[in-house]
Amino acid sequence: MKFIKVMFIFIFLLITIAGCAEQKLLEQVGLTTLLGYDLGENEKLSTTAVIRQVNPEFQSNVEIVSAENETARGSRAEINRKTSKKIMSGQMRVVLFGEELAEDGIAHHIDTLSKNSDTSGSIIVAVVEGETKSLLEYQFQEIDDIGTHIYKLLEQNIKNEQMISSSLHEVAHDYYSLGRDIAIPIIKRDKEHVEISGVALFDKGKMVGKLSTEESFYVKLSRDLYDSAMFEITIPKEALPESQTKNSPEKIPVVIDTINTKKQVKLINPQTPEFDMHITVNGRMLEIGANMDLDNPKNVKKLEEEIGKSIAKNLERVLVYCQDVNSDAFGLGEYYRSSVRHSNLTHEKWHELYSTAKVNIKVDFTILRSGIFE
Amino acid sequence: MINAFLLFFVIHTTQIGVGIHGFQRVIYQEAKHDAWISVLLIGIATHIIAIFMIKTLEIYGSNDLYGIHQDIFGKWFGNFLNFIYIVYCSTAFFSVLRNYIEVVQTWVFPNLETWFISATLLLLVIYAFTGGFRVIVGISFFSFVLAIWLLPMLVFPLQFTTARSLLPVMENDIMDILKGAQSMTFTIVGFEILNVIYPFIKDKNNVKRHVHYGLLATTIIYLSVILVSIAYFSPDQLNKSIWATLSLFSIVRFPFIERFEYIAVCFWMLIILPNLCLYLWAAYRGSIRLVKVNSTQFVWIFSIVVFMLSLSVETRTEINAVNNYFSKVGFYLIFVYPILLYLLAVMKKKYTTRKERKG
Repeated sequence: MKFIKVMFIFIFLLITIAGCAEQKLLEQVGLTTLLGYDLGENEKLSTTAVIRQVNPEFQSNVEIVSAENETARGSRAEINRKTSKKIMSGQMRVVLFGEELAEDGIAHHIDTLSKNSDTSGSIIVAVVEGETKSLLEYQFQEIDDIGTHIYKLLEQNIKNEQMISSSLHEVAHDYYSLGRDIAIPIIKRDKEHVEISGVALFDKGKMVGKLSTEESFYVKLSRDLYDSAMFEITIPKEALPESQTKNSPEKIPVVIDTINTKKQVKLINPQTPEFDMHITVNGRMLEIGANMDLDNPKNVKKLEEEIGKSIAKNLERVLVYCQDVNSDAFGLGEYYRSSVRHSNLTHEKWHELYSTAKVNIKVDFTILRSGIFE
Repeated sequence: MINAFLLFFVIHTTQIGVGIHGFQRVIYQEAKHDAWISVLLIGIATHIIAIFMIKTLEIYGSNDLYGIHQDIFGKWFGNFLNFIYIVYCSTAFFSVLRNYIEVVQTWVFPNLETWFISATLLLLVIYAFTGGFRVIVGISFFSFVLAIWLLPMLVFPLQFTTARSLLPVMENDIMDILKGAQSMTFTIVGFEILNVIYPFIKDKNNVKRHVHYGLLATTIIYLSVILVSIAYFSPDQLNKSIWATLSLFSIVRFPFIERFEYIAVCFWMLIILPNLCLYLWAAYRGSIRLVKVNSTQFVWIFSIVVFMLSLSVETRTEINAVNNYFSKVGFYLIFVYPILLYLLAVMKKKYTTRKERKG
């Protein structure tokens, strides 16, 4: 019995001492923080990786390596052959797709990224205007680590609800869902900065359209709900009482900060199909381009009405564009599927219906407060 | 002898094991977005079966399933049934072990050899088993207490959910929903351990209550996981996620821990440990009625056989085949057979009392 006990302790120690299954020492690996995919020559895939190398003695440095291969994994192996340290993707934060590749289709990449257990669901996905390679390889004066910079840029804007959230999970969710299409941010280089320039609209896996950053507000308004986004809107001068709009431009700009929004979508006719979309926005007014007397409740009421109308008009315009390019960024299909029993919806079937869909948009806007100074 | 309230932990921890990693997909394939109804139905079914099990055991007072088999069916056929039950427990043990190893290999250590994890886990199980029955029950208790904090982690994926995915309710055929419930077998079995553990309970009149509490806790956990999963994933996404629960965890992110699912996978060893120990113990209780063997001999022989088997089943397809086969047999053995056995036990009892009265 004593012998068995000793053996147990021996085996236990053996396992715990040699128990480091796979060592990944920080000094010996290169951390990929960002991956960019482009369409290469001869249907190859061009991959650019931003690799951060941690060095105990010196400041950690950032390396940008690119390779061309048929598959994503193949290019990874090729990149590995070009670096002194083993490439790891556990710290990857952003995946970028070149515009051309996005138009060609990113379905395969979503599938591969979802399959890999190394990549987490919270990676941010975005499209680059032009090529990712040229964006990443450009020597920015102010930016040391382009990978982390782009990540922070996107994350910060998504967190502050200035941009549609595009984590890998959400992108994969929309890609595999029946009644909602992918919408992800577009970034581009603007001289010495990287900026978010708009929103890419997808039909299944293919990029089919683009919206400006201003318009992206409406896409997000119809997809998710806002808690704290700021947006700018213009209302025509003649809509407001004349006494209030002296010395103001033809189109009066108003800046609103949303406090909370509510949305109700109802399918009222499954044949056409026709939807009623009722959005309630509560916000605070930050800026207005007219010298209005907001002590007067009548004026405030009128202003609220006009802002609501203006939001509705813009929403309609964006929706018509989405229908034109056949991308259901609004997620109307999800409402259709969940309201109609035994619809047996498929992607094709829904998109046929979607092109003729009619949406009656109504927006109720309320100004909760308008600053400390009237 | 143990207190009846410990049954709560024993029943609950044997039910929850590796199945919870990926049961969503299996049910979803049958019942689509009504999968949660399937889970609810199978949850209710476990309660009903537990009632029958307890009634059968109460007829005999202080005997386990193996003894009941021998009494009802006689020595030869009874022992044959006992043998089947032992094989069932062993398969369950093997299935839990192999599935867990696969999860570790796919999620955390792709290059780690099967034999290494298998040997480590088996040594741990041997160590626990040689400690005796009370140690095994203790492990169940600690497994529950130490792992229950994983449940609130579902709050993280909750913010990405759309409740709309659950609508329209009951759109699918009732047959599909029932089929979905049936395919849940692999995940929800484990409470049959009651058949073997019953003679070891001190206060038998409290058994009912604690068994049902345990089952209820399991149903609630499965129900909350499936509800979050359906709302979090889109249809095809869920269909393709082999371990949807771990994918749910992959969105969890703390400032000090980036990849939470790694912690979850490693922590899962605590959750499967009572599974392994209790199935091993159940197989042992049966074996001593068939052959003369002491516990140390048994556990070593058993472990070596399982170790060999775990090396022979390698690929995803093979593991899936084992799971499906086990699930099919398990359904009849756990959800149909106890009712049959109860009827036979009642008939046998009537027959013998009448005979006694006559005599």
